Amino acid sequence: MGPSVEEKSVWVQFVGTTVALATYVWIAAAMYMRGVDRLEPYTAVFAISVVWLVIILIVGHILAAVTGKHEDEDERDRMIAWRSESNSSWVLGVGVLATLACMVGSVPEVLTAHVLLLSLYASQLMQYGFQILYYRRGM
Amino acid sequence: MGKKKPKVRNRIRELRAECGLTQQDLADAIGVSRQTVNAIEGEKYSPSLEAAFQIAAALGRRLDEVFEYEDGKRR
Repeated sequence: MGPSVEEKSVWVQFVGTTVALATYVWIAAAMYMRGVDRLEPYTAVFAISVVWLVIILIVGHILAAVTGKHEDEDERDRMIAWRSESNSSWVLGVGVLATLACMVGSVPEVLTAHVLLLSLYASQLMQYGFQILYYRRGM
Repeated sequence: MGKKKPKVRNRIRELRAECGLTQQDLADAIGVSRQTVNAIEGEKYSPSLEAAFQIAAALGRRLDEVFEYEDGKRR
């Protein structure tokens, strides 16, 4: 049986977020290696990665919609989303605490900002991963 | 003895066939997706109490004729 539109949407978000993160990390790491230590240039790269993500999401959702029958989110979709978020939100919490520790410890602002950003991405990807797992394996 | 995870068993597939309903028919009757009916039939998802009553009503059966609770103790 093929996946529902809701499950396809999660796949699109998982792939889109992974691609956007990989693009950002690839460029940001190269910048950091070249000695860029101000935050502003990274902000521009981040903005580009977000635009890239939005494009992937729009195209992906259009493809998901035209290849499947539209059905509203039901109780299983909501339960899967809720449980996945519950399982993954601690990652962002740890990231926020690590960011505070970086600020207290006078870690350079570029690294501090990236600790927060990467924990946000990691939390989101973990949530999508759990959703896909629950859709495929059951819960 | 070891304990198994509690599980809600069901006879939806068998009863649905008796009624001549497809998964999509049942999904439309209770307001969920066909994939959710498939997951419930395959015991990969335990429906809410409300959905369980709706399924039983759509199949013209009592709740305990459709669902059975396995309490997790080995028999």
